[in-house]
Amino acid sequence: MRKPYVIIALVAALVFGAYLLSREEPLYHTQSYVFGTLVDISIYDEDDERARSLSNHILQDFQSLHNRLHAWKPISEGKPSELGQLNSTFERGRMLTNISPDLVAILVDAKVLSVKSHGLFNPAIGHLIGTWGFQRDEFSAVDVNDRKIKKLVKSSPSMNDIVLENNTAYSKNSAVKLDLGGYAKGYALDLAANYLRKQHVNNALINIGGNIIAIGKHGDKPWRVGIQHPRAPTAIATVDLPDGWAVGTSGDYQRYFMLKGKRYCHIIDPRTGYPAQHTQSVTVLVAPQPANQSQAGVLSDVASKPIFIESPQNRSKAARELGIENFMVIDDQANIFVSTNMVKKLNWLSPNVKFATLQ
Amino acid sequence: MKITQIQSTEDDHRIAKLAAIAIALHMVEAVIPSPLPGVKPGIANIVTLYVLYQYGFATAAWVSILRVFASSLLLGQFLSPTFVLSLSGALLSLCALWLAMHLPKKWFSPVSLSIVAAFAHIAGQLIVVRLWLIPNAGVSYLIPMFAAAALFFGLVNGLIAKKLIKIEATNYLHL
Amino acid sequence: MLNSPHCNNLRAQLKSLTQEFLAGDWLVLIASILCVIYLFQTLWTNEHAAKVQIRLGDKIYATYSLNQQREIHVHGKLGDATISIAQGKARFSKSPCHTQYCVHQGWLTHAGQAAICLPNQISLELLGETKPYDTLNY
Repeated sequence: MRKPYVIIALVAALVFGAYLLSREEPLYHTQSYVFGTLVDISIYDEDDERARSLSNHILQDFQSLHNRLHAWKPISEGKPSELGQLNSTFERGRMLTNISPDLVAILVDAKVLSVKSHGLFNPAIGHLIGTWGFQRDEFSAVDVNDRKIKKLVKSSPSMNDIVLENNTAYSKNSAVKLDLGGYAKGYALDLAANYLRKQHVNNALINIGGNIIAIGKHGDKPWRVGIQHPRAPTAIATVDLPDGWAVGTSGDYQRYFMLKGKRYCHIIDPRTGYPAQHTQSVTVLVAPQPANQSQAGVLSDVASKPIFIESPQNRSKAARELGIENFMVIDDQANIFVSTNMVKKLNWLSPNVKFATLQ
Repeated sequence: MKITQIQSTEDDHRIAKLAAIAIALHMVEAVIPSPLPGVKPGIANIVTLYVLYQYGFATAAWVSILRVFASSLLLGQFLSPTFVLSLSGALLSLCALWLAMHLPKKWFSPVSLSIVAAFAHIAGQLIVVRLWLIPNAGVSYLIPMFAAAALFFGLVNGLIAKKLIKIEATNYLHL
Repeated sequence: MLNSPHCNNLRAQLKSLTQEFLAGDWLVLIASILCVIYLFQTLWTNEHAAKVQIRLGDKIYATYSLNQQREIHVHGKLGDATISIAQGKARFSKSPCHTQYCVHQGWLTHAGQAAICLPNQISLELLGETKPYDTLNY
């Protein structure tokens, strides 16, 4: 008889369909607020329980790093963060202070990067950032005190003022106030990536407030990252991150305030003391770096700032000096510039995106 | 004063009678609330299918289009989105029926035609929704639900239509 | 159980119904079922967002279907935020935060799109089985 076969085929089709609908990916995903921002961890192909405990470990590390490196928040009343303590000794003049070895390593690395960027990446301008009101949880328009800003710029705080010897530090310039806001997230990325690799996790994606580092792949595909449009609630393009690559964006759209129709963002040009206003966003894509240099995570956080601040004709030079080959700039007129290497890596999400290439 | 006598043929009467039944079924369906917005059994299509088998495609098309116009007038929905949806569904479903009726009768019964027509009906409506009513998507994830409903009701209506046609064929009943 | 008179009756009826099925009917029926399965598989799991997930702090607060019109009030770290859902999209419509960045983001329409209110620690994400990307760089 013919019919039983037909019914068997029907049932098989239904079961197959149900299977296709119900199959689940071995992807563990968690989101959390640490570092004053959103931390998003994906781990692929690990036991859920293990992925959860690894993620929690990372989040705890982030929290303690956040507490230690916070530029303005004390851990508790009257007990400043490690960075806060260091800053207050800098302010009181030449005093040798003991600091932990990993903070020494951070400062040495930040100093190298600051020099490479000709001071455009300058974590020593904490006083300027504070004056502009960006050392608060909430930003609101501030009275722009031109004289105070001029004075702060003239005091020229620089990473070169900091002298590091045998786990001690002092500053030759009392105007130095460290704010690692443009470094710590990247550092935390490297920390987390190294930890996961040590734990033999082969596939993961870590996103700290928009800075992202990839380990391995998402199944048989590379990890895919969307790049936020600076003025629309959507991604403008996607980019695939190979193993060990990191991506970072500096934008004028997350931390900013508006004053008399003008946008003042948190990225301050140390040369003038004023927020850079000719750029909407800069995205850098960073390959894995050799062991004795700044790591990919740090570089993805740091390198976007000098490109953001630098004048339009010098953007490529700023990128080159930090070893960045892949970057994209969106300027204040919404013109898009993409480095030649980056062009092949970007997948635009809308058709007919117009952009210029940068050498 | 001159009175114009409109000549009506037997065909017209039959169309009117059948359309009246279709309209009645359409109206019944319109007042019964549906658990899922947009999903209706489409029992009026049983009439279309029955007419197609008994009197041919032209009569079926007349009955179907008349039903859409008359029902919307009666329900006060004439030229409203509901009417356009109804019309687009009916038109595409008629197109599908015209194609499907050329399939060999030996292998394809009214059940096949009913399922095909039901899918075409929902497709016609969705095209209008997509192009006109809600252009920026948001409906596409409803499509599988609609398709499943079309399959189920197409099958049931087809079985009913088949029964009716069979009764008709054996009893020579007249409406 | 299967031999109870009631069941037998039902089986007989079903049998009489299916016996009238011609080969072509079976073909149409199976093709249709496969078509519906295919539609479910592709449209219910692809790009167009069907749900919005609201996160409060590090917890998933709730997940709502986008196929409705409603307002949701969520009590965040700073205060009450209002999230609007309307036919396939979602947005922050009111937030106690100072920046109002989340509100300015406007409507989210596609899977993978997200609006994050950092001060109030609430985030919205539109869900689809396959997102166009794994995470967002901002």
